[in-house]
Amino acid sequence: MIEAGQIALPIALLTAVYAAVASFAAAWRRIPELSVSGRYAFYAVPPLLVVSSAALVYAFVTSDFSIRYVAENSNLAMPRAYTWVAFYAGNAGSLLFLAGVFALIATIAVLSIRRKLPYTAPYATGIMALVLAFFLAIIVFFANPLERLPITPPDGQGINPLLVHFGMFIHPPMQMTGLIVVAIPFSIAMGALLARRGGRDEWVDLGRTWAMISWLILTCGLLLGSWWAYTILGWGGYWAWDPVENSALLPWLALTAFVHSIMVQKRRGMFRTWNMVLIIVAFTLAQMGMFINRGGPVPSVHSFAQSTMGWLFLAFMAGTLILSLAAFVWRMDSLRSREGLDSLLSRESAFLAQNVLFLVVAFVTLWGTIFPVFSEAAQDVTLTVGAPFFNRINGPLLLAIVFLMGVGPLLPWRRATPRNLVRTLRYPLIAAAVASVVLFAVGVRQVPALVALATCALVVTGIAHEWARGVRARHGRGENYALAFGRLLSGNRPRYGGYVVHLAIIMLAVGATASSFYSAQRDVAMSPGDTAALGDYSFTYIGVSTVEFPDRTEETAEFDVYEGDEYLGRMYPFRAVYPEFRIASTRGAIRSTPVEDFYLVPSEFNDDGSAIFRVLINPMVWWMWASGPVLALGVLLAISPRRQPSPSTLRLPANTRAAGA
Amino acid sequence: MQSSGGVGAGRRRSVRVAAALAALCLALFGLACDSASEVPTLEQREQRLNRAIMCPVCPGESIDQSRNPLSAQMRGVVRDRLEQGWSEEQITDYFVESYGPSVVMEPPASGFSLLAWAGPPVALAAAVAALVVALRAMRRRAPEPEAQLTDEESEEYFARVEEALRR
Repeated sequence: MIEAGQIALPIALLTAVYAAVASFAAAWRRIPELSVSGRYAFYAVPPLLVVSSAALVYAFVTSDFSIRYVAENSNLAMPRAYTWVAFYAGNAGSLLFLAGVFALIATIAVLSIRRKLPYTAPYATGIMALVLAFFLAIIVFFANPLERLPITPPDGQGINPLLVHFGMFIHPPMQMTGLIVVAIPFSIAMGALLARRGGRDEWVDLGRTWAMISWLILTCGLLLGSWWAYTILGWGGYWAWDPVENSALLPWLALTAFVHSIMVQKRRGMFRTWNMVLIIVAFTLAQMGMFINRGGPVPSVHSFAQSTMGWLFLAFMAGTLILSLAAFVWRMDSLRSREGLDSLLSRESAFLAQNVLFLVVAFVTLWGTIFPVFSEAAQDVTLTVGAPFFNRINGPLLLAIVFLMGVGPLLPWRRATPRNLVRTLRYPLIAAAVASVVLFAVGVRQVPALVALATCALVVTGIAHEWARGVRARHGRGENYALAFGRLLSGNRPRYGGYVVHLAIIMLAVGATASSFYSAQRDVAMSPGDTAALGDYSFTYIGVSTVEFPDRTEETAEFDVYEGDEYLGRMYPFRAVYPEFRIASTRGAIRSTPVEDFYLVPSEFNDDGSAIFRVLINPMVWWMWASGPVLALGVLLAISPRRQPSPSTLRLPANTRAAGA
Repeated sequence: MQSSGGVGAGRRRSVRVAAALAALCLALFGLACDSASEVPTLEQREQRLNRAIMCPVCPGESIDQSRNPLSAQMRGVVRDRLEQGWSEEQITDYFVESYGPSVVMEPPASGFSLLAWAGPPVALAAAVAALVVALRAMRRRAPEPEAQLTDEESEEYFARVEEALRR
C-alpha cells in the first residue's frame, strides 16, 4: 500500500511534466492530436495522487510510525478523527493535499474549457500542468510525506493541539484550496493572452466563473479561519492582522477587484489590459501567501507548516511573475479596448475606482506585513506592525469601498447625469440619514462606527430599492410578487447574485464594526460559588471538572448564566492542557444571538479551585458567521449558467448600436 | 425629454433635499464627536494598553490576546502601574526599555519607521493620480456620441425587449 503511494508520486510528476510539454508544444505548433495527448496526461494525475493520498491515510490509520511524516504528526493517544487533520497539519502532507486538490479541480477546469476555448485551452492546460509539476517536484525531491525513517519509533510526536478543533476539518483545506485555485483563472487568462485571444472576450465567461469559484473558496477559508480563532484562541477576537492572515487576505483583495472589473470586460469590452494585470497580481499574491505560510520571513502564530523551503516558493513566485509579465508585454497589442469611456460618472469608472481602492488596501496590508523585514535589514531594529496600524489605515479605506459598493451598482453603464444620480441615490441617502439618527438615539456615539453603519444602511437600501423597482415592474405585467421576485433574480444572475453577495458583505461589515467598537471585556478571578457581572449578564461559577487523558488534561468549568432576571442556562468553558507541547487550548462557551454574543473563556485554573476567566460581550458577531451561507448562495446564483436569448431578437434598428437603454 | 422647467424644479428640490441631509449628518457627527470625548475608565485604558503591547515570546499576539504566562504577568504590570497613576506613555516606554521597540504593536512615528506610516498615504495619492490619468486617457478614446433613437424606433425596440422578456 505504502509502496504503491511512493511509486505513484514520481509517476505523477513525470505525467504532469509531459502534460505541460505536450500542451505547450501542441499550442505552439498547432498539433491538435498532441494537445489531446497532453490533456489526457493531465487527467491521469489526479488518480495517481489519490493513490498516494490513500497510502498516507492508510499509514495514519494503521499508526505506521516508520513513515516520518506520520511519526511527526500523530501519536497513539490523539482522537482518531483528527487523522484527517494530521494529513495536512505538517508541511509535506499539506503539499500533497494542495497538489491533489489542485489536480482534481484543474481537471474539471480543463474539461470545462476544452470545447469552449479551443485556442486558449492548450496553453491554459500547459500552465496548470506546470504549476502542478512544481508542487509535485517539491514533494518528490524535498518533502516526501511517504518517506521512511531509518528506525521506527514506538509512538509518534502527536498533532499540534491547537489544531484539534472542529474548524480544522475545513478551514485549512479551504484556505489552501482557495490559494491554489487562483491558478485556474490565471491560467485561463494567460492562455487567452498567449493564444492572442485576449482581445476577443471569449475567455471572459469561463475566466470569470473560475475566478468566482476561487473567490468563494478563499472567502470561506477566511471566514472559517476567523470563526476558528474566535471560538478556540480564547481572546474573543477573530482577526488580528497577523502576517499569515494578511497573506491570505492579499489574493482575496486582488481577486475581488478582478471579479468586478471582469464584468466591465464582459459587458463593455473594456479594461482588457487591466484585467490581465489584476489576475497576474492575484496569482502572485496567492503564491506569496503560500510562501509566507511556509517559511516566510515574518513570525506568526499560524506557521504550522513552517519549513526551510520558503526560497523555493519565492523562486517560483518570481519566475511566474517575470514570465507572465513578459507574456503580457509581448501580447499587449492584442488587448486594445473595444470602447472608450463615455463619462467620468459611470459604472465603469466606479468599478475602476473600486479596483484601485482594493489594490491600495492590498498594498497597505503587504507594506505593513513586510515592513519589519525592511526595518531589520536597514537598521537592525525589529519592529512590530500590528493590528492598530492596519485598523487605522485599512479601516477608512474599506469603508470607502463599502460606500462604492452602495453607489456603483446604482450608476448606469456608460454615462450618468448628476440628475439621475441624485434620483437613484435619493432613498439610500435618506436611509443613511435616518439610520444615523436612530443609531445616535440608541447610543452609538463613536463617529467611525456611526459612519460605517450609516453607509451599510445606504448600501442595503440601494439594493432593496433596485429589487423593489424590478419586482414592481414585473408585477405590473401581471406576475404575482413571489414569481416576479424569482424571475427578477434569475433573469440577470450575475447582477442579482452580486447583490446577494453584497448583502452578505454588509452583514460582515455590520458585525465587524459593531464588535470592534462596542465589545466589552473583563478578566475576573472567581472561586466556586462566586457571582460576577458584565453588562446585563451575571454569571455564577459552579465549579470545574477535570479529566485526565494520556496526552492532555481537560478542564471543564460550569457556569449558571443570567441576563437580567432571566436564566439562560448552563455554560461550559473548556480548557485542555498538553504538557508535552506546553500548550493550553481553550474553547470559549458562547451564547450567540443576532444581537450579541456572551462569551466565557478560561484563562487559568489554580490549585485552590479558583480560576481566572475572560468574559466578553461581542455585539452582532453572529451576523459575520451567518454571512457565509448567504455569500455562497449569491456566488452560486451569479455563476449559474443560463440559456441566452438569441441575440438577433434584440438587435437594434440598423443605424444605431446598443445604447444600454 | 421632459420640459426644461420640470427638470430645473426637480433638480432644485433634489439639491435642497441633499443639502438638508448633508447638514443633518454633519450636525449629528458633531454631536457624536462631542459626546465621545468622555474620560476613559481605568479598565478601558488598561485594555487599550494591553492591545497595544505585544507579547515578546509569542509572535504576532498582543498581551491581551496571548494566553502565555509572561503575558499574564505583563497584564498585571500594566494594571499595577495604571493604579499607581502612571501615564500610558510611561508604561509603554517602560516596556520598550525592558523588551526593545518590537514590544509596541504600532511602529513609532519617527525616524526610519516613519516610512511605515508614510507608505500608505503616498500609495493612495499615487493610485488616485493614476486613476485620474487612466480615466482621462480612456475618455479621450471615447467615440462620438451616437445617433439617438427616434420615438417610433425606441417604441418598437422596447416592444421587442418586452416580447423577449415574456418568453
